[in-house]
Amino acid sequence: MEELILKLKKEIIEVLNLEDVKPEDIDESAPLFGEEGLGLDSIDALELIVLMEKNYGIKLQDPNQGKEIFKSINVMADYISKNRTK
Amino acid sequence: MIGDKRMVNRDIVITGAGIVSAIGIGKDETLRSLQEQRSGIRPLHYLKTDHHEFPVGEVQLGNDEMCAMLGIDPSKQPTTRTALMGMVALKEALEQAALTPDQYPQVPLISGTTVGGMDKSELYYLDFLENDSRNEYIRTHDCGACTEMIADHFGRFRMLTTLSTACSSAANAVITGAELIRAGRADCVVVGGSECITKFHLNGFASLMILDREPCRPFDESRAGLNLGEGAAWLVIESADHALRRGAKPLARLAGYGNACDAFHQTATSPDGEGPFLAMKEAVAMAGIDPSEVDYINAHGTGTGNNDISESKAIRRLFGEQVPPVSSTKAFTGHTTSASGTIEAVICLLAMQHSFLPVNLRFHSAGECLTPVSKPTAKPLRYVLSNAFGFGGNDSAMLFEAIGATTSTAKVSDRHQNKVYLLSAAQISAQEPLCDEWEIHPLTLTEPLTRSREADYKQFIPPLEARRMGRILKRAIATAHTALDKAGIADPDAIVTGTGLGCIENTEIFLDALCRQGEDQMMPTRFMQSTHNTISSIVAINLHAHGYNTTYAHNTVSFQSALMDALLQLRRGKIDNALVCAHDEMTPSYHALLCKGGYLKGKHAAECAVSMVLATANPGNALCEVAGMRMLHRPTEVEKQQALDSLLAETHTSQYTLSTDHTDLFGTSYTAPALDLYAEAKLIGDTPVVVGYSDDTHYTLILLKPCGDC
Repeated sequence: MEELILKLKKEIIEVLNLEDVKPEDIDESAPLFGEEGLGLDSIDALELIVLMEKNYGIKLQDPNQGKEIFKSINVMADYISKNRTK
Repeated sequence: MIGDKRMVNRDIVITGAGIVSAIGIGKDETLRSLQEQRSGIRPLHYLKTDHHEFPVGEVQLGNDEMCAMLGIDPSKQPTTRTALMGMVALKEALEQAALTPDQYPQVPLISGTTVGGMDKSELYYLDFLENDSRNEYIRTHDCGACTEMIADHFGRFRMLTTLSTACSSAANAVITGAELIRAGRADCVVVGGSECITKFHLNGFASLMILDREPCRPFDESRAGLNLGEGAAWLVIESADHALRRGAKPLARLAGYGNACDAFHQTATSPDGEGPFLAMKEAVAMAGIDPSEVDYINAHGTGTGNNDISESKAIRRLFGEQVPPVSSTKAFTGHTTSASGTIEAVICLLAMQHSFLPVNLRFHSAGECLTPVSKPTAKPLRYVLSNAFGFGGNDSAMLFEAIGATTSTAKVSDRHQNKVYLLSAAQISAQEPLCDEWEIHPLTLTEPLTRSREADYKQFIPPLEARRMGRILKRAIATAHTALDKAGIADPDAIVTGTGLGCIENTEIFLDALCRQGEDQMMPTRFMQSTHNTISSIVAINLHAHGYNTTYAHNTVSFQSALMDALLQLRRGKIDNALVCAHDEMTPSYHALLCKGGYLKGKHAAECAVSMVLATANPGNALCEVAGMRMLHRPTEVEKQQALDSLLAETHTSQYTLSTDHTDLFGTSYTAPALDLYAEAKLIGDTPVVVGYSDDTHYTLILLKPCGDC
């Protein structure tokens, strides 16, 4: 899981072009969206959906599912490890 | 001259209308579909795509059928689906208004589109790169080219321009046309919009996950997104006096309109619908009526979760407890994007003429949204409001009034005589390294294409926002701040942008992936930056500017059109100041295509970023007065001379110099005329300067006066 979390952090930084953020800056239990965490928005959620499909073979059809899955890096990593097809 | 025109009734009436959409070719078929509740949402048929899971509202004609209807031989001239649909609809509007070709040279034609020639670009993109078989289609990509094809099919119109504000484009074309009439700059204007479905935006909307896999259900609790539609609709609008003089029968009156910016997010509407609220409020106020007098609202109502709830809130804010009957006709037509403004305007005209409320199909339960009209209802309609909202929060509304015995008479008493000053300007261009010293030591352009450096944007744009902005957007925000700071203005009353190609870099990345890798490439961030109005709206979001916001995308007259728009509003005192912007970026590969098509004629190309602040008050340090301008489409030599003479007479100018061609200095780009104006304004001496621009199609004159004479 540690390995997946680090990989995921790196992927998120790259996909969302978070220039000044390093993997260790991201608290894996902090919210990704809203002002308390990374401050991501609805377009980032769409990019994360693309990321899950491309890198892990997980296809979401309803963007609202993302709200639960992208709560934090921990929640996301947990969902990916249980549902990944690649 | 202008004084005389102030005395006449410049009330605006509609004397011709034409429409094509998924529910019919022409007004008669459209009316029947609306009254018989026949939806045009069907499985995909005409567009060749892998995405058959999404139902759409396609116009039930192939390109070959439209060519046959119009007498066009497609082997002899390049055509696009957007242009063909536009021609079919325009023909009906011109015929109803009984406008004849001998009158067209007095009539401006203004269109709205975003897709432009993308249907052919996505079909031939790889040919463009790999062979010479489709070179004639390289130039049909831009929005202005579609407008030119539509107009040229009928004859020579006085002036052409194109609005590109995503899904409010056609509504904004109506507003610009109306402003020309109000100002006495035209007696009659042809306005409309046209947009075909393309793989490009079908995939783009899919990547934003706002397409419903079922027929859409606007305002319904179970709504799950929109269905894309396509079509075109045109209106002939004219002053009431002009219609009376030539015996044209008014169909309705354009009693009001509003344009505001939500300034919230690139693709989502604010939760409280601020932009929609401001646009509707302005339209109702301009008509001089109480909101309670509105008999029907044709909502934007796309069927997305976000739009329908925020539009419901905006309508409740304006109308309170007395919300008039509302429906979205997108359940019939699909979302016809850039054309929706005039398509729904024609639907409103039909409803007014035949006294019925169009039904909001497939509605069952409102949830938090307002409850729309769900049963066929007969009702006399006097005042009808029509909404059109676009990505980037470009929100517009139009208010129509039925023609009747009690129709109010002239309420228009604008004076149109404010002076307009150029307070400040900022630019990033091929000459940018020397910035304000370029007139002393200009750089010599040596490369075929000079790309500008990235702007110093970090003080203006938070990192979280900057990370997904292309270079053109960063330059737009940086130059806007610099120009506004120099002018001492924080929140401009209006932001008007001209751009030939918009964010072509992101557009090209999206198109390239689509053509090479197929249709499962989901690129939401790239797609949302591909609309031309991204520039103007991202500046508004950055400045929190909720005022008038619009974008012109008509190749070499994009900037002049934006300037004309700002001048119209400043002169009549609707606004006190405006940020006028001109931005174009260029990719090496797109540049190579333009060279290959022979469109650059061996000239050096460069990128362009200019922001300028215009205002009606001169605090003392204005660069010059912008005293007047003219815009003509394919004028005769006599008309060119008449334009210059009338411009000089109107501005009481006897001595003047003609501007020099700065192409060698700045390089060529669609918006390079903005750099010409910037240079002339900085270098102006004691004599007024006429900044001229001409090419095969367009001819523009802008008269600058030194501030000693201001």
